[in-house]
Amino acid sequence: MHIIKKLLTTACAIALTSTVTAHDMIPGAAQSNPILIKGATLHTVSHGVLTGHDLLLQQGKISAIGPDLVAPKHTKVIEALGRHVYPGLILTATQLGLREISSVRATVDDREVGDDNPHLLTHVAYSPDSEIIPTVRANGITHAQITPVGRLITGQSSLINLDAWNADDALTKGALGTHVSWPSQPSYWISKKNRPKALTRYRQQLELLSQYFEQSKRYFTAYQQDNSIAKDIRWHAMLGLWQGDKPLFVHAEAIEQIEQAMRFSQRFDLKMVLIGASDAWMVKEQLAKLNIAVIYTNAFGLPQRDDEDIAQAFKTPSQLTAAGVTTAIGYESAWDSRSLAFAAGMAAKYGLGKEQALKAITLIPAQILGVADKLGSLEVGKSASIVISKGDILDYQGHKVLQMFIDGREVDLNNRHRQLYQKYLQKTVNR
Amino acid sequence: MIIRILGATISCSVICATAFADQTSPVIGLHHKTPQLIAFTNATVHTKPGSTLLNATLVIQNGRIKSISQSGKTPTGATVVNLSGYDVYPGFIDAYTDYGIDFNYPKNDNKGSVYRIDRIGGNAANGAIHAQHNWVNSFAPDSEKAKDFISNGFTAVQSAKLDGLLQGRATTVSLADGIANDLILKAQSQHFGSFDKGSSEQDYPSSLMGSIALLRQTFSDANWYQDAANKINLQDGQKVEFNAALKSLANIEQQGLVFSTDNEHSLMRAATLISEFNINSTLLGSGFEYARINQIAKLKTRLIMPLAFAAKPELGEAQGRDISLADLRHWERNPDNLATLEDHNIEFAITSHGVKNKDFLKNLRLAIKHGLSEQKALAALTTIPAKIAGIANKAGQIKPGFSADLVITKGNIFDQGKIVSVWTQGQKHQLINPKHLAMSGNYTLKSLQTGQDISLTINLTNKASITAKQGDTSLTTLNVTTTDDSVSFVINELVDEQPQPIRYRLWQDKENAGLMGQQIDVNQYHQSIIATVQPATIKEVKTKKQPQLISQLTWPNRAYGQKTQPTAQKVHFKNATVWTSEATGVLENTDVLVANGKINKIGKNLITPAGYISIDATDKHLTAGIIDEHSHIAISRGVNEGSEAITAEVRIGDVVNPDDIHIYRSLAGGTTTAQLLHGSANPIGGQAQIIQLKWGESATKMKFANAPGSIKFALGENVKQSNWGSDYRSRYPQTRMGVEALMKDAFEHAKDYQQSQQDWKKLSRSAKKDTAPVRRDFRLETLNEILASQRHVHIHSYVQSEILMFMRLAESFDFKVATFTHILEGYKLADEMKKHGAGGSTFADWWGYKFEVYDAIPQNACLMAQRGVLTSINSDSNDLQRRLNQEAAKSVTYCDMSPTEAWKMITINPAKQLKIDQYVGSIKVGKRADLVLWDHQPLSVYARAEQTWIGGVKYFDLVSDQQARAAQQTEKAQLLTKLMADKSKKSTSIALSASEKMAQPSWHCEDNHDTWQQHYKQLSSATQGQL
Repeated sequence: MHIIKKLLTTACAIALTSTVTAHDMIPGAAQSNPILIKGATLHTVSHGVLTGHDLLLQQGKISAIGPDLVAPKHTKVIEALGRHVYPGLILTATQLGLREISSVRATVDDREVGDDNPHLLTHVAYSPDSEIIPTVRANGITHAQITPVGRLITGQSSLINLDAWNADDALTKGALGTHVSWPSQPSYWISKKNRPKALTRYRQQLELLSQYFEQSKRYFTAYQQDNSIAKDIRWHAMLGLWQGDKPLFVHAEAIEQIEQAMRFSQRFDLKMVLIGASDAWMVKEQLAKLNIAVIYTNAFGLPQRDDEDIAQAFKTPSQLTAAGVTTAIGYESAWDSRSLAFAAGMAAKYGLGKEQALKAITLIPAQILGVADKLGSLEVGKSASIVISKGDILDYQGHKVLQMFIDGREVDLNNRHRQLYQKYLQKTVNR
Repeated sequence: MIIRILGATISCSVICATAFADQTSPVIGLHHKTPQLIAFTNATVHTKPGSTLLNATLVIQNGRIKSISQSGKTPTGATVVNLSGYDVYPGFIDAYTDYGIDFNYPKNDNKGSVYRIDRIGGNAANGAIHAQHNWVNSFAPDSEKAKDFISNGFTAVQSAKLDGLLQGRATTVSLADGIANDLILKAQSQHFGSFDKGSSEQDYPSSLMGSIALLRQTFSDANWYQDAANKINLQDGQKVEFNAALKSLANIEQQGLVFSTDNEHSLMRAATLISEFNINSTLLGSGFEYARINQIAKLKTRLIMPLAFAAKPELGEAQGRDISLADLRHWERNPDNLATLEDHNIEFAITSHGVKNKDFLKNLRLAIKHGLSEQKALAALTTIPAKIAGIANKAGQIKPGFSADLVITKGNIFDQGKIVSVWTQGQKHQLINPKHLAMSGNYTLKSLQTGQDISLTINLTNKASITAKQGDTSLTTLNVTTTDDSVSFVINELVDEQPQPIRYRLWQDKENAGLMGQQIDVNQYHQSIIATVQPATIKEVKTKKQPQLISQLTWPNRAYGQKTQPTAQKVHFKNATVWTSEATGVLENTDVLVANGKINKIGKNLITPAGYISIDATDKHLTAGIIDEHSHIAISRGVNEGSEAITAEVRIGDVVNPDDIHIYRSLAGGTTTAQLLHGSANPIGGQAQIIQLKWGESATKMKFANAPGSIKFALGENVKQSNWGSDYRSRYPQTRMGVEALMKDAFEHAKDYQQSQQDWKKLSRSAKKDTAPVRRDFRLETLNEILASQRHVHIHSYVQSEILMFMRLAESFDFKVATFTHILEGYKLADEMKKHGAGGSTFADWWGYKFEVYDAIPQNACLMAQRGVLTSINSDSNDLQRRLNQEAAKSVTYCDMSPTEAWKMITINPAKQLKIDQYVGSIKVGKRADLVLWDHQPLSVYARAEQTWIGGVKYFDLVSDQQARAAQQTEKAQLLTKLMADKSKKSTSIALSASEKMAQPSWHCEDNHDTWQQHYKQLSSATQGQL
């Protein structure tokens, strides 16, 4: 099958993608029996690390934590002595499920044309059958914030769980907030000749962004007076932002972008979350003061400038956290977002510490996305979305996800890669 | 053309008498016979650098210098010009211009790729080779442009169309007015050249290494053609083609080549290339020479130096936050460059090329202020360019018989002096009205209105200006206006403390005797007045202070550069956990001794020998340096010569960039050796270069000595241009079938080539006389090196069909594939690869970014290794290269590879793939001491390299890194303070800033951009240029 696939023309192959490549991992059924995980090391995130503890999962929720819990009737017991249990990792800022093969246009649904798209909902295009998803969850990720990209106002992100039949049962929380891709200054490789034009375009983009927000606010103001006004689906999608219920997610890397975005959110009195944030360390005090949370996506990044500390990108999460900035670690892109735990490990090494690093990919993203009541830590009453690893999930040699539960449903950890691996372990030379 | 010549003649007759009678064109109207004998007396004459005559009499006649003496005698009948108080210099010569060449190459409307050009008149096959042009044929004087040169003291120039790799032969001409016939001093002077293909629309070459390869091939072809053109036919009986470009290059060795460069590395590259062919050369410098001055001094090459200094860095809205240390340093030190060249005895001329007309003298004086001697400066403007332009026997000095090319100044031209007039072939170009000059000065004027003295300062040499003072009170002056010999103005004088406008007109009475003139009152009543010369105040002679430099000079000259070149040490690493990458595996509590750059002992509890430094490595891990099979760092101007399908002649080794900051960053991640590969834009790419990351060293010293040659091949989507867009559907091949065919054909052709070379050698002496030798072909020669197993193929490959194809193809040509690189489906063919003997160098976990990697799996390395394939992990990325330890660790994560085997995948295994394992790749007695000291188990995400050693030299140290950063912050703060205090105006300059020079994109395999065109074609629209 794989050989045949390679010989097809690209267009033809893509037309077939959904049928040919649909994976055969079956989404887990709803939890019927209690599950008791015994004797594990529990990385609760909210209450430190508990060694030799038990964890009881019932009806999709964590129902008890403690040493030597008594199993109710019909409990499935998992002996987990020496194993490490974590809350499911939450992947933020990803295009998972929107982008299958980035160079094959037909498989890419992550950006719309235009620059005023606050109404776009990512879960609408989210493909739970993406071959990438099982490879990502096999590394401990149970939930992901599916995030649009594009120009200026790009759409709304949604939080989904990674084991689903379709978008309906994948959706944990839709329309999390409006995303803005902040305009960036013309790149250094633009020639001197073209620079003035590029600068003009850049300034126009900034102006346009401002206009959109003013229009959106006018709509909100009018709508408050009279909710029967003609519906502008763009600005209607931003009502929650103006009501203060939903954050503005600003994607910005460079310092001038970040500074502009901070002034912008002040001017419009918006609750802002900064995504990307390469240069955020330069303004960490202001970010803390303005209560702007950060989803940092450059844990493995290069220095942004020649003179910068070679390890700046690695240190940024710890610097931000130390300054009081609520800092999550995210991972833009799709296929390589499975390295999220290692990104946190990197930050742990460069000053963040293991516990805080784990928090940056569990409880903090849950808080930023407004689901901390359900996800992000091992606490009684929270969702039974958990991961059992052989060792330290943040480090390459300990990272071995043995079992995963999402809302108490056991997740099949198989994936395309493991299948191909298994297949070729069997290979014989027939000639 | 006719109009312009007429125009020139008319303007000339206005300024001066025509110096020459036109020799060949008939006279229309009356014959001009004005005497042409002029004697300059009482002048200070700088006859040549280092030689000055005071009170000299200089006689010129008919455009040439007749005599120079201190006798005071003037010939009878001569017009005498008293130059008392003036200096006379030889006219300046600019050896690098395009003056008077009004020519443009025809343009095509072609969109998309251009693989061939029209062949006209026996031109070269490549549109960037214009060697057949003799620019004298296009020369027409241009008095407007000449004025710009003349205003800075230039009287002659060497000129060519500055376009392309080999630009044709320049011509040396006078800047005088007249017809070209009278102005051409040397019809054919030097060949001109550059690395920039200029207006050529042909795709090839699209990179610096491509330009170098094409130049190399062309120089070689010229030598061949010199021989072949005299033969009756080629071996196969064909006649030898006519080739005008090659014909013109026959004697370039003696004729000489002026070659332009834009930074110190490209200067060294040019010198090296040109010296391969023994061509007498002069290189156009850039202003960056100081940064690698010791190496440049060793080249013993002559330079032409522009005076374009880097523009002052702009503070911008962020008030300088983002200005790099390198830019600040270069801004401060750039004007020092010429003095540095002088200090190192490098011969150089100065050109006005690249600098704005009004900045030329300003920048020259800045260079002098920074330590350039006046004598060297004069030589650089006269005798040396005269030599380069081939007119040393007739210009560049004030000497009887030489051209009457003179610069007459008031004051020292290298200080504050003003050029009063310039003479070209005896023609006078007045720059400052001498009467205005004479009137300029300080005067006392007694006002008839108030009876008070007014102190006047008159300056008419530039823009006319007058300042007036009554006592200590400054008076307003208005409407300062001049005629040829007078100045008029209005002063608001204080009459009863009320300002009252009084009109004046002044002119010179006689020489040095004050001014006379009129005052005009409100009734239009004219009254005579005089202005007397104020006694000269003795000006304080300022002692010239050479500007103090704050900036450090490091190698490379940027943040984290080395202040001094580190040297080899004798070291005792004590009590480390040693990862040997040998059968011995991991040794606990082990000592390693290093001396003479090599590992000379491994053991437990060793005693530190005398003279060794001892490093306590308790709880630390010592490994061999990481080796990266696939890297694109440290490459200047283009990683792909992606224009043609086969470019085996290009060499990454020609374009190694030792300034790339990624070298340092990767060192900090424990990487010590990297194979710099050509990109993957074509099936047969360029030759690779293995380097050691010896930060601070030159490109030459970074190259891995004794490593066998290697080359990049590529397969799949990139080479068949699958993702390049609709403009790229015509290059052969467009399918994997075509790729095989193309490669097969190339190897067959290479074999034929070799055969015909051998056949020629066997010809009888008489047959050889008639038969042209086989033209050396660098592209085919490289392919033959592969066939002879002297050069090893590293082939970019993804899917199993193409992997299998290439093994079978190699087998049919009887060579072995060294390494399949990327090889993401290697796991499907591991047994076949093992059998063939090919290695596999792969990504740890990349997949899904294009269709051909949809079957890539992170267990690939494990599967290949399990089946006995020599397996390594590579980076193909400046980012991954600094954490290859983590990439190797992923095989432990995903498929339980043992840590020692995983570690081998980034040390000894790639060393074997690069065939350098006898020198590096493991900790073994006798091997090079390439070592990394880690603070943690090196496969852990928590591991960080603390020290990185190459050949017993410590190139990276975490502690030093932190100290350097602190020092750099201080230095930067000081330089920024200096920058903010600098009041000079914002300068515009075509000179590159340091960061523009060093700009090093993060090259990936498929970044195929034409470095010579100012646009950047990112082939893959969807990804960040990932493979």
